[in-house]
Amino acid sequence: MTKLNSNEIYGWMNKILKIDVSNGKQEIVEINDDLRRKYLGGRGLGVKLYTDMCSADIDPFSSENAIIFLTGPLTGLIPTAGRYQVISRSPQTGTICDASSGGVFGNVLKKTGIDGIVIIGKAEKPIYLLITDDKIEIKDASQLWGKNTHETRDALTDKYPKASVASIGPAGENQVLYSAIMNDKDRAAARGGMGAVMGSKNLKAIVALGTKDIPVADPEGLKLLLTKLSRLIDKNPVTGKSLNLLGTSVLMNVINAHGMLPTENFQRGVFNDAEGISGEKITEVLLQKRSACFHCPIACGRTTKTENKSGEGPEYESVWAFGAQLGINDLTKITEANYLCNELGLDTITTGNTIGCAMELYEKGAFPHELKWGDAKILEKLVEDIAYKRGIGEELALGSKRLAEKYGRPELAMQVKGLELPAYDPRGVQGQALSYATSNRGGCHMRAYVIAPEILGSPMNIDRYSSDGKAEIVALLQDISAVVDSTVLCRFLQFAMSISTFAEMIEVVTGIKYTDDELLEVGKRIYTLERKFNSEAGFTRKDDMLPPRFMEEELIEGSSRNRVVHLDKMLDEYYAVRGWDENGVPTEETKKKLGI
Amino acid sequence: MKEYTKEQIAKMIDHTELKSSSGQGKIKNLCDEAKMFGFISVCVNPHYVEYAYEQLKDSDVIVCSVIGFPLGMSTTEIKAAEAKKAVLQGAEEIDMVINVGALRDKNYDFVLADIRKVAQASAPAHLKVILETCYLTDEEIVKACQLSVKAGAHFVKTSTGFGAFGAFEDHIKLMRETVGPDIGVKASGGINNLKDAIRMIEAGASRLGTSAGVSILEGTPMLKFAPKAWLEPEIPCHICPVRFANMSKLPKGVYAYYKKRCLNCPHRDKYNKFYD
Repeated sequence: MTKLNSNEIYGWMNKILKIDVSNGKQEIVEINDDLRRKYLGGRGLGVKLYTDMCSADIDPFSSENAIIFLTGPLTGLIPTAGRYQVISRSPQTGTICDASSGGVFGNVLKKTGIDGIVIIGKAEKPIYLLITDDKIEIKDASQLWGKNTHETRDALTDKYPKASVASIGPAGENQVLYSAIMNDKDRAAARGGMGAVMGSKNLKAIVALGTKDIPVADPEGLKLLLTKLSRLIDKNPVTGKSLNLLGTSVLMNVINAHGMLPTENFQRGVFNDAEGISGEKITEVLLQKRSACFHCPIACGRTTKTENKSGEGPEYESVWAFGAQLGINDLTKITEANYLCNELGLDTITTGNTIGCAMELYEKGAFPHELKWGDAKILEKLVEDIAYKRGIGEELALGSKRLAEKYGRPELAMQVKGLELPAYDPRGVQGQALSYATSNRGGCHMRAYVIAPEILGSPMNIDRYSSDGKAEIVALLQDISAVVDSTVLCRFLQFAMSISTFAEMIEVVTGIKYTDDELLEVGKRIYTLERKFNSEAGFTRKDDMLPPRFMEEELIEGSSRNRVVHLDKMLDEYYAVRGWDENGVPTEETKKKLGI
Repeated sequence: MKEYTKEQIAKMIDHTELKSSSGQGKIKNLCDEAKMFGFISVCVNPHYVEYAYEQLKDSDVIVCSVIGFPLGMSTTEIKAAEAKKAVLQGAEEIDMVINVGALRDKNYDFVLADIRKVAQASAPAHLKVILETCYLTDEEIVKACQLSVKAGAHFVKTSTGFGAFGAFEDHIKLMRETVGPDIGVKASGGINNLKDAIRMIEAGASRLGTSAGVSILEGTPMLKFAPKAWLEPEIPCHICPVRFANMSKLPKGVYAYYKKRCLNCPHRDKYNKFYD
């Protein structure tokens, strides 16, 4: 940490490079103070840069499309801040998309003196980008093409021992619509198919190798603040205890007990074998050690080992996707399917959810290939086939929406805007239901994790069955999340820290003071800009919709039984809170007010 | 609802660590946090009073010691001696547990004397009397409050946190109505987040005993945004002590009292309709 003169910029490295991989041409992207203040970095600044460069009708796989890797003003300085964000238009959903990943890549990238890179064009042959201090070089990746993410990482770190690597696997090379970018071996920028966008540019990997210091406005203030942050993390029951002890899979028994663990493609909310795939069971039979991202005291990561393999994870969403969602209770097979997704570069949520959709299609007589609930033996081959688009895998590689539409049963795809839903049945949590429906990147729990107040009581408990007041809370959490994604920190910090604390972090690092209201407005601006892009891409109220199952079919057992989602009422309220019209389009007045 | 700042709420929190398994490191952290976040006091077992005082002597944070904890069944002399020593070691507030059995036996003279002697031994420290409301009927809570005030207590307090259940809004309201505005009411036990805290304050609590103070404070800024949505009224049965009335944990008479109360509750129909 260094303190520079008062006219210097702190927190940011003040350099974003744009590179055209078709011809190697590079230029500096000008970022002024106003942009930094209005969009911070990461997701926010990325969305701003992207929407300024690319129109809403751009083909995500076209040469003109941009894919942006960005760190944030807090990257490298705060616990959990080894993260980065990837921004582009999703080939899976057609929406604006940002995917986030932990590990150390973000920190190492920023230490090159570059806050991020904008990549356009399409290389003629496979390449990787080598980013060293202030410099980007295009390197030949012909020898790496075809390798999985672990092999790629190992080959590149053999060559550059101190580097951090983000790469795609065969799934990204084959442009599977839900392929992930993997960094530091097992950390994933998984959602929305950002790996496929990389693949479309013949870009196999990005290697970062930085040695620079990050300028800080108030180093002494930061030291004091770090002590406070450590206390906040430690004293919060989720960040200080549960996530460390049992990993994210601590949620398995909790969500099952609430009758909202999606089982067999969301047909039920209780999985009888939940205990056998729980965080407790993983700790008992698979755990080798707890692992952490950059400077993270939470250490929610799991280094695990089965009889045959070892690796990272599985996390809650992945255990669910290959477990309860498919009626599978074989923890070993689930874990190995997760390892395989990491190696091949696939989004585990969409992979498992799509297989679940296919299983229900088969159960209902709409799919010709035999896929049965609970059949763990097929997992490994299915995952491989998806990554290589082989046989049945070619169809599953479409994702659940396209698959279910192809077989005439679109209602059986558990998705929003083409992105598969994660591991919380929305019938048991009205606020999370609204959050899914209005997520700018599709069916996702990370735009606003309303599970925190509705189930975990953080920052305070709210009635999960009630739709009253949820519009305001969802919008608020979406805005705060957009801020955190733009700083770029781990969203788990939101359990332990308020918007005021995030403002404090930004102030000591950058010297820029935000009131809580001003910072929240940054989040609102980002969310509305994303929405504006989606509106221009043709998304309207009809797309802020959950699969009909959730509005029409009551859960039949467990503590969420007899529940459906009351979406229409909440949507009306939500648009009013947002300042969007009845079709979910931001009004001119709202855009003007937010400076969009 | 009134608006609350972090600072206001911090000054209502006794930052608490009373587990028997807690070592000195936990107490050190407790004291550091109390200074860092501006809590009014740390609440510790007598064993740690001297240590906590040393940690806090150069700060505004005071030390509060529990006495006769958690059962309240020590002899009066022992409670008084324990309180006296705690004050000598630096405690400025004393949280004593009432003799619940004597109260339920209606042995009011004994209860009055028990509290009075501890109050005298504690002076000049302030005395809070822990009623352990989970084991009392409303009538007994009222009586316990009256005896506490008469004996010279400065506060009445709901719970030890080690009983069948902790603080409930209904009990806080009853205690506040009974003791009036000049005596403190401390809610303790089961206050895990900001909403619990606000509910207790709105019901009349002037002090909160909790080990979740850091998280509670950190949640405070959220109330500025969407306050109505965060504080939507709870389903009454969710915040009713009857919900926690467990036959195996409560005295027979208290259990019967709660069950009867539930049968006659105007919210019962809605509750049944909603959940059964």
